Amino acid sequence: MTMTKRTGRLGILLALALPLWGAATAQAAGPKLGMICTNGPTFDLVAGSGHIATPDGNSVFMWSYSSASGHFQIPGPVLCVNQGDTVTIHLHNGLDQHPAQPGMVPENVSIVFPGQQDVSAAGGTAGLFTREAQPGGDVTYTFTASRPGTYVYESGTDPSKQLEMGLYGALVVRPSGHPDQAYGDASTQFDPSHEFLLLLNEIDPDLHHAVETGTTYDFTTLHNRYFNVNGREFPDTVEDNGVSWLPNQPYGALVRVQPYCNPSNASDPLNPPGCNSTSTPNRLPSLIRMINVGELNHPFHPHGNHLRQVAQDGRPFANTATSEHFAETIGSGQTEDYLLSWTDQDFWDAATPTRQFPNGVASIDYRNLTFKDGNTFFSGSAYLGRTGTLPTGVVSHNICGEWYFPWHSHALNEFANFDEGFGGMATLMRVDPFGGCSAYPGSASVVGGSVKSGGFGDLGADDGAYFQVNPKTTTRPTATTAGQGSITVASASGFPAAGSFYVRIDSEVLQVTGGQGTTTWTVVTALANDWYAGFSGLPTGAQNLKVTFKGKNCANTTGTTCTALASNLPQQTVKICNWTVAGASGCSTATSSGWVNLPPPQSQPVGSADVSTTWTLPGSPSAYVGTGSYQGQVRVLVHTQRWTGPNPTAFSTWGNVMQLVYDAP
Amino acid sequence: VSDVEENAMHQHGSTRRQFFKAAGLGAATVAVGGGALAATRGAVEAAAQVAAVSARDHVVLTGPRILLAATDGYMTAAGRENDPLYIFGFIPAPDDTVANLESNLKGRAQHVAPILDTTEGADTYIKVTNLGLVQRPDLTDSHTLHWHGFRTPSALFDGVPEVSVAVPINRQLTYFYRPHNAGTYMYHCHFEDVEHVQMGMTSIVFVRPAGHPNWAYNDSSTAFDRHFAILLNELWKAFHDNDRDIQESIPTDYDPQWFTLNGRSYPQTVLPNDDPGLQPGLRILTPNANNGDDEASQPVSALIQVNPGERVLLRLANLGYLQHSMELPGIPLRVVGQDATFLGAGTSLGVAYGDRRYTTNTLYIGPGEARDVLFTAPAYSGSSPSFTDAWGDYNRYFLRNRDQRKLANNGAAGPGGPNGAIAGLGGMATEVRVYAPGSAVPAPVPDSAGRISPNLTYVR
Repeated sequence: MTMTKRTGRLGILLALALPLWGAATAQAAGPKLGMICTNGPTFDLVAGSGHIATPDGNSVFMWSYSSASGHFQIPGPVLCVNQGDTVTIHLHNGLDQHPAQPGMVPENVSIVFPGQQDVSAAGGTAGLFTREAQPGGDVTYTFTASRPGTYVYESGTDPSKQLEMGLYGALVVRPSGHPDQAYGDASTQFDPSHEFLLLLNEIDPDLHHAVETGTTYDFTTLHNRYFNVNGREFPDTVEDNGVSWLPNQPYGALVRVQPYCNPSNASDPLNPPGCNSTSTPNRLPSLIRMINVGELNHPFHPHGNHLRQVAQDGRPFANTATSEHFAETIGSGQTEDYLLSWTDQDFWDAATPTRQFPNGVASIDYRNLTFKDGNTFFSGSAYLGRTGTLPTGVVSHNICGEWYFPWHSHALNEFANFDEGFGGMATLMRVDPFGGCSAYPGSASVVGGSVKSGGFGDLGADDGAYFQVNPKTTTRPTATTAGQGSITVASASGFPAAGSFYVRIDSEVLQVTGGQGTTTWTVVTALANDWYAGFSGLPTGAQNLKVTFKGKNCANTTGTTCTALASNLPQQTVKICNWTVAGASGCSTATSSGWVNLPPPQSQPVGSADVSTTWTLPGSPSAYVGTGSYQGQVRVLVHTQRWTGPNPTAFSTWGNVMQLVYDAP
Repeated sequence: VSDVEENAMHQHGSTRRQFFKAAGLGAATVAVGGGALAATRGAVEAAAQVAAVSARDHVVLTGPRILLAATDGYMTAAGRENDPLYIFGFIPAPDDTVANLESNLKGRAQHVAPILDTTEGADTYIKVTNLGLVQRPDLTDSHTLHWHGFRTPSALFDGVPEVSVAVPINRQLTYFYRPHNAGTYMYHCHFEDVEHVQMGMTSIVFVRPAGHPNWAYNDSSTAFDRHFAILLNELWKAFHDNDRDIQESIPTDYDPQWFTLNGRSYPQTVLPNDDPGLQPGLRILTPNANNGDDEASQPVSALIQVNPGERVLLRLANLGYLQHSMELPGIPLRVVGQDATFLGAGTSLGVAYGDRRYTTNTLYIGPGEARDVLFTAPAYSGSSPSFTDAWGDYNRYFLRNRDQRKLANNGAAGPGGPNGAIAGLGGMATEVRVYAPGSAVPAPVPDSAGRISPNLTYVR
């Protein structure tokens, strides 16, 4: 038995080697997440055989429908048509080709379409439920897709074997004129970029082995060992669509959502903090199409939030008859459509004192905790969008503090791969932080001036804690002293010949008010400080980088309360390190060449009330995200200067919060 | 029976103990109001609760601070009294050092875990201490707490070890919840859950609507006179015996032999909540191989004792791995809630709903699902068959599984037993007992926050 099986696996792997490349290329073109449609209304399918991989290292022989131009796949292609389409499905029975399984006995195959009416079949031979294609033969089915919804197509021949073996797939009918609705009703409108399919099934590998080897197939001995979603067992289910190492299981099942935001209604209580009239809307829910093609009913439990069921078997519920579930049993052969909005009720937020977890429950003491198998999707923080430091040796799959929740069968014996738990009929929901990933400084370096008080941690929250920096006052060129009214420079070449202008000497700023065009300038001295915040851990491929800095300036350089500045407000300029100019040395001092001014407002007066400014960085962010030994690092510099003549008056710069926002890959 | 008499009898001890419940009497065992939010304990009262664990705490825990310890132990599977079933479980813990908890509680698990009684808007801190296993010192499993169905928790407090953290042996973690949505939920360990859930780390947690502690939801139509949280479950002996004997089990071989309500199979289900003062025949005492003691490791009754005309809420949830069809012949069931959402008309999180309540004779409940079911207790009929238990005379109605295979204990019909249990019935069944006017069960005494305690049972 073992010998036969091994030969079979080797054989099929060799047989797959050639078409695999073409398929991988084709699959790579599709989206990484979400349901992948094969669009109709005419389809050319082949029933064939192949193997799937299970996470415990097994390989199971399957029969399935595949696109004639494509590659063997489980489940069959998602057939997408529009309401009213005349749908034509041509089926070729390729089960006659099985050189690696000499014992396998081919059969007639067919397709039935539960939920479709007036299906006509042409060609082939008469069968029990519909016309069938003999091995090597063909049959064609035609029907009008009269109702929108989520449906199944599956074999109508020898179902106790052919459904077990994998001859099934999803049929999606989109409402006429409303591809963004599950049904022809505005209440079923969804975000087309968040459409997911979860197709449930279970497998008894012994029965599959019997078919593979041509030995006795007795369905009454059914003993399921693998329970899958979209033809994959967890954790393979959370891999992207079309990953190269699952060539016959192209459909991932990760559900990724963003928090709800309705900018058109600022008083919507479901809006999270930061969702305002200028935010990108995320008002529409995700659509989860669930199908159970298995023999068993499956109780499916989504962690994290309830799902709202809006339809069953292609029939939408009345508008007010939908229902919310934290678990729902999906009967064998049923389809159920769910809408999901991530609408939080607490909006826990580390940066907002009134939204912080109470009584220190969010402070994680790793001496008291453990990570299963040293491997986690956890961010290290209780807060959405925040990351924390994980213990040394723990591998994290978390990018920027997004949350993961398992969705799984609560018949927990199905939440396993054969004999290993946390597998099988499960996937994850990934909840991204509102507005994208956020990063907060992991370091703060003063490159001109001195720290008055605080540290980088004070830049992590919009609260009463500030990172405070005093201007540099000590180092000056030998020829100058504080308050000196003129200086001599080696050359005036390149400086304006007329008008007032600013020059920087070391970390100080002088305004040249006389002597322009000569080497002896009349100057008004100024005070300045320069510091930069360092971010780390940005993922490769981060997009749409934004920088937010909120801070103020005060008149005092000592003391814990801010003495307000009334006039002659310091000027603030914020810059970002372009690593491509000169690497880290390009951003080592306040005047290094790598600092790039952020877009306007570039220089603005900032007094003693917090000023918050957000800059969107133009172009590719790759120049701002370090590589090599500075992998994932971003540096943002704040330069603040104040001048008066002849002697500048003191001030201090108070940084409240510095934040990077980006889209994770 | 007046409250004064009840108190007097209670104080005078066990010769004719009035009832074993908590409604206001065991002051330390049920929340006794105060604080800004209704049904939230004051700090002093909370401290009083955790200083010592009472018999009632093994049935229901409440208040802002709930302390649970996780360990192993043994229970009695009906019909296998001579060979106790090895279990893991959560037990109520006093506020003590880990060393003292280990010394006093390790190896003394219960199944089901205490029912947790919480209130909308009232912050709830649940501190879990992992005490390790006596029988399996080689098994260094961590534990977690998963509040099943809680909306939008922080991943940290969702209790899934692969996407958050787990609590290793001799360590503690405080889980934090701010419940917003009234209804019936479950909680269980999510560490290697296919094993730990089956091993017994399961129970019900429910949330009372703010301001209306004795309504199921924030709607007056869901008001109740009594409420009973009942967890459906199964026991598969292979997992328990193999865990005891250091053997592996294959979860996909799952094939349970016992079908339980609150961790008991009929006739155990109709015994009262455990209390040390009960006569021995009314207790389920299991020889605990971990320490040689006889322990009441199945303290939570599934008996439903009511008076005619009372509005009764059943909080039903299923943490077995099988789907169950339950029926209550003779009493129509009004399903008012599902998965901690009200089925009446209203708006929830921006979505408008119509009235989706329904009346039924059978309830089909899949694993992980919950239902809130109201019924009105029928009138007592002297001409109908009447029975007598340790409280008094009653008409009997069975809440039972529709699948006859699940009305047996390891394949055998039950032998009957004390407190009115009939012979020939086993498994996932209990009784609604509607008492004769002369033997009315006492009206529950609300606590100082006005709350009726759940799962009250009565014996004389």
